Amino acid sequence: MKPVSFLISFLKYSLSFIIVLALWEAYARYGGLNELFLPRPSKIGAKLYSLFVKVEVIEQGTIYWHFYATLAQMSIGFAYGITIGTTLAVLAAFNETFRRYVAPYAVVFNVTPGIAVLPLIIAWFGFGWESKIALATLVCFFPPFINTLTGLLKKNDEAIELFQTIGATQSQYFWKQQLPNALPEVFAGLKLAITTALLGTIVAQFGSATEGVGILMQRFAFRLDMAGSFASLVTMAIMGLLVFTIAEVMDRRIVFWRDAKGLERVSKKKQRKLMVNG
Amino acid sequence: MSYSTSQQTKNISLFKTLPFHLLIFAVLIVIWELTNLYGFEDQIQADMIAPRPTNIVLAMLDIFIIDKTVWKHLISTFQKALLGASIGTAIGMGLAIAATLSLTFRKYIKPWIILMEATPRIAVGPIFVALLGFGLWSAVALAALVAFFGPFVNTFQGLMEVDEEAEEMFRSLGASRFQTFWKLRFASAMELISAGWKLATASAFGGALVAEFIQASEGMGVLIAQYVIMITMDYAFAGLLSVTIFGFILFKIMDYFDYRLIFWKNDYLLLKESEKRRKKAGIV
Amino acid sequence: MAATAKKTEDLSQFGQTVIEGKNVTKVFGETVTALEGANFDIRAGEFISLVGPSGCGKSTLLRLVAGLIEKTSGDVKVNDDLVTKPRTDIGMMFQKAVLLDWRTAIENVLLPSEMKHRITQEDKDKAMASLELVGLKGFEFHFPKQLSGGMQQRVALARLIQTGADIMLMDEPFGALDEFTRERLNVELMRIVGELKATTLFVTHNIQEAIYLADRVMVMTPRPGKIAEIIEVKFERPRDISIQTSREFNIIIEQVRDTLGSH
Repeated sequence: MKPVSFLISFLKYSLSFIIVLALWEAYARYGGLNELFLPRPSKIGAKLYSLFVKVEVIEQGTIYWHFYATLAQMSIGFAYGITIGTTLAVLAAFNETFRRYVAPYAVVFNVTPGIAVLPLIIAWFGFGWESKIALATLVCFFPPFINTLTGLLKKNDEAIELFQTIGATQSQYFWKQQLPNALPEVFAGLKLAITTALLGTIVAQFGSATEGVGILMQRFAFRLDMAGSFASLVTMAIMGLLVFTIAEVMDRRIVFWRDAKGLERVSKKKQRKLMVNG
Repeated sequence: MSYSTSQQTKNISLFKTLPFHLLIFAVLIVIWELTNLYGFEDQIQADMIAPRPTNIVLAMLDIFIIDKTVWKHLISTFQKALLGASIGTAIGMGLAIAATLSLTFRKYIKPWIILMEATPRIAVGPIFVALLGFGLWSAVALAALVAFFGPFVNTFQGLMEVDEEAEEMFRSLGASRFQTFWKLRFASAMELISAGWKLATASAFGGALVAEFIQASEGMGVLIAQYVIMITMDYAFAGLLSVTIFGFILFKIMDYFDYRLIFWKNDYLLLKESEKRRKKAGIV
Repeated sequence: MAATAKKTEDLSQFGQTVIEGKNVTKVFGETVTALEGANFDIRAGEFISLVGPSGCGKSTLLRLVAGLIEKTSGDVKVNDDLVTKPRTDIGMMFQKAVLLDWRTAIENVLLPSEMKHRITQEDKDKAMASLELVGLKGFEFHFPKQLSGGMQQRVALARLIQTGADIMLMDEPFGALDEFTRERLNVELMRIVGELKATTLFVTHNIQEAIYLADRVMVMTPRPGKIAEIIEVKFERPRDISIQTSREFNIIIEQVRDTLGSH
């Protein structure tokens, strides 16, 4: 997309946001919106300003500290979750016995809403970071597991025959065909996992915590400080968008062969590299 | 010969594997029981971390048959989740249908959808609880909010992925927009739509439980949390197990409906259905 | 099996036998006989077309020679060596190009070399030459999805050439292409095979293509899969595409049709 047309479409879309906000504001001001339920945007804006710019201290920390704590807990939980999920998937892909007798437990486990385990997790891991990390891990391991498994088991008879006739070893087949071939699914799983990890972290913070955006939300809501609650919600949306964008960009970079733009970019890069090397 | 990631999963019948499944399960349970009895120095700690399976079974008996405490909470949670899932599904599918029918609408809701997708929607929980109270509706609202996304995405994708040639065929037949929509688009999207319903149900449970954890008068979230606070972990496990079992049954029922609804993906059902229709038409 | 040796064949222009099948039978499962009692004898540098309808066992025969599946009975020999496992001294081409989407054309061509050792400059030069031979100079750094179907098959052919194998097994490689592309690729394949002096086994269900390319056409019939007849094609090489309209060519077409029709 050309920069100009991108700018136009961006303005057009942000216009829809602005219009909605303006209507909301006008209704609150002149119509009689019960602001106990829904505070007007300008008040939420003011709260955000005081949180982010004036760096107001709430719950023993600045918003940046709460932001950081949540992201850190989420990242650690995510790291554990994908490690467990992909390891199980690789084991299940390569060992039929394992796949038959162990994988069903993972599936049954997934039927239990992971979130239901929250009280137990808090009892076991306490009110600190561990319980948040544990819940994030628990709720996010499944998408990487099932997606990696699906990706690795994708039917590919002709590619197998090709690799056999060129004398590929098992490990060559894995690294050069099976794994890259599974990457689109793997990354789809990671994208799902990263948003669920964030969700798990925040829910665990509702349970009990001393820091994190979740606890901010909880405290503001219970004080019926709706401007504060909505400001925390906006903060979470920003966090969510950040995490989502990172996952999306990584996906686009690594699994570049899915769309025409990515192909063109890498193709040109490789050609340039050749010319430099002579 | 083939690389050992065997695409060729051998079709061994459940009948043959079931004994092994049961054996493995039994061994796991015995190990668990023994770990509780001999693996810890302190029995209180043992019951805290890994309550004995036998005690969990006794707790199940108690809450289901003797004391019957669980029913009220189970019904409450299911009610919240199913109501939330239905409302969420209606909203999600409605939005998706509107988005497929109108390009303008599609363009303008896109940024909102991305925003909704990225925001951990469950985080709105405290606001709902604060505003709507501890009863049914805060949980239903949260369940609906988290549930609408699955049906939305699936319905949208299903409706947009319609075969172009089939659509041309409909146009050449002079089908109205309405006819094309119902007879072609909606029918061919059915598989994805039905998968969306299952997604909605699963996430609605999460939403209902979280609302209950935050603050509620009844529901499985409340019950499990109470058991944990009283440090009766065997009962907490029993509560968790009840959610799993009944959730599992619900999903199996949904799977069955899905299987019957999309009969044309299954050879056996196709045969039965064609037989039925032949009889209905009076041709023997 | 009477038809196999009925005609006196003039094979003096070719070298010694490189692929040999004796009474080869393949049964899938318990009952599905994909190939029954096939006898064949393919000489070095020869181009053999296998033609017949779906389910006549053409692909089965090809895979038996490649060692991708095991025979039920009989013997398959390549270079006087019983085929028991996948062979790497043969190269294969499939109906799909089977290119790795995440690799450029040249990286796909280099794949066979990677299996043996680290890529050297020599390998790269050879890959460039292979791509030039199949008419893809200038497209070395394009990804498969940036190429048309015909060009993708050219990359697959270049990859086959890169293996250095002098036996080529092709399973309907142009089956998914449009007529015009197919015709162009037929002409090029003929040129390339001639240059490489490779022995080729070419599976197709297109009778014209089979005859145009081949020194001998093996006509196969289904249920159970059998070699019903082997027909010699004696046009001078290199062949012009125009021979397809000649009388002799059409006589051979009739002959193939008769064989297929009588079953």
